[in-house]
Amino acid sequence: MGRVLNAVAAALASAYPIVIALLAWEAFARFGAMNPRLFPGLGAIAEQTVILLRGHQLGPHLGASMTRVALGFGLAVVTGVPLGALMSRSARMGRMIEPLFSLGYPVPRIALYPIAVFVFGIGHFSKVVLVALECLYPIAIQTYYGTRGVNRLYIWSARNMGATPAQVFWRVIAPAAAPHVFSGLRIALPIAFIVTVLTEMVSSTEGLGWLILYASASLVQARVFASVVIVAVIGFAVDRALAVLRNRLIFWERETVLVTMR
Amino acid sequence: MTRDGAVLVAVLTVLWQALASAGVLPAYLVSPAIILRESAALVRSGELLRHSAVSLYRSLAGLALGAGIGVGVGLLAGMSRRVAGFFEPLVSLTYPVPKVAFLPVLLVWFGISDTSKIVLIALSCFYPCYIAASYGVRAVDPVWVWAARNMGASPRRVFFRVILPGAALHIFGGLRVALALAFILMLASELIGSSNRLGLGFLLLSADAGGRFDIMFAAILAIAVLGFAADRGLLFIRSRLLAGYAVAEEAVHG
Repeated sequence: MGRVLNAVAAALASAYPIVIALLAWEAFARFGAMNPRLFPGLGAIAEQTVILLRGHQLGPHLGASMTRVALGFGLAVVTGVPLGALMSRSARMGRMIEPLFSLGYPVPRIALYPIAVFVFGIGHFSKVVLVALECLYPIAIQTYYGTRGVNRLYIWSARNMGATPAQVFWRVIAPAAAPHVFSGLRIALPIAFIVTVLTEMVSSTEGLGWLILYASASLVQARVFASVVIVAVIGFAVDRALAVLRNRLIFWERETVLVTMR
Repeated sequence: MTRDGAVLVAVLTVLWQALASAGVLPAYLVSPAIILRESAALVRSGELLRHSAVSLYRSLAGLALGAGIGVGVGLLAGMSRRVAGFFEPLVSLTYPVPKVAFLPVLLVWFGISDTSKIVLIALSCFYPCYIAASYGVRAVDPVWVWAARNMGASPRRVFFRVILPGAALHIFGGLRVALALAFILMLASELIGSSNRLGLGFLLLSADAGGRFDIMFAAILAIAVLGFAADRGLLFIRSRLLAGYAVAEEAVHG
């Protein structure tokens, strides 16, 4: 009991910068030079968050956005992991596909969105394709490095002891590459959220990005921040879930720092 | 670029051209020859250069601002437990927020100007730079710092001769991620709220509205070339600055 209380107290004590930041925000909203309609206080943002969560306006938009995130991310996982593994395990495929990744990496794929709208229409499909395209890069590249970096000695000894190629892959290469694959997934997940919101802002009739743009155009900035809070909480929760899953599956290795695209 | 890669790109281009010439492709997939011709025309008229210059200014100004603050604060957080204790909770709390969601608010605060775009880019670039710099400092072997101190190096000298070079590789990793982000957000901000009639995003959008697919692809080509060149430029600067230090394998993005 005492240990739990101590842990809670320590967590609260380390959270003091957040309190300071919130107080600074509130102070600026109250005494700053900006119209409270443009720079809402915490109370107004909380009120709008409750209104959004209680009302029936949020549901369809949230559903549309989450569908796009899930489908795009899923598509990227299903294609990116095999592509990355293929690139590192087959020299020929590596030479063929690798340039597409090393040349394409610094190119903002988002530029293709207006074309994607023409090809796939303004609904779910164009957004899902773009989310998948942006998520594909970190997932495939991390898988590539993960499967390439497997210690050769492990592979040789497995072969030596009579393992079939399939056994070598599933028992040696896959577990050794798994931590890298998971860091690719954790880099890609927030990208899926960013690209979904972004494409919804550029052209859409539903989704959280559209909701944010609509609220801002109606000059209800508190609702914009409320939507941002909701997106942030969901993003945070999904990221935590992925981290828990990773630590369950890959219990033998600690996670390293991620410099991710946010 | 490997030979097979060049072959693959060439084969795809020829295939695209052949299909477009045969009239099989829909109108929005313009043939490579027409894209090149239109690009050349836009370059000659100076239009492409004008839009590119504005876009490049926005992304590099945002990157400089965000990376400057991010690397600076990150270095401090790496060296001081107290600074880290202050920034760590704030960063981990705000990190999962898609920053592009703030664009409408920034547009209201700063107007449809370069400022709102630069602030958005800087906001996004701060995070990878902060994380890379603070992690890079912590990854410096403490034995090196102790050895330098022991041999009488001043704190200033320890910072510039040991800590900064030791963290440099990580910092460049963060900068590279930030550079890619800067281009994505530059384009996003120009697609969503540009209207001072400048920037590659605006060129793309106005071509889209006018149904000029050739200009759209020319703008996309320009964006791709710009992003690629900026990335290579950063790698060149890194190889110059870190000449003499062993540049380990490309950490994340090859």
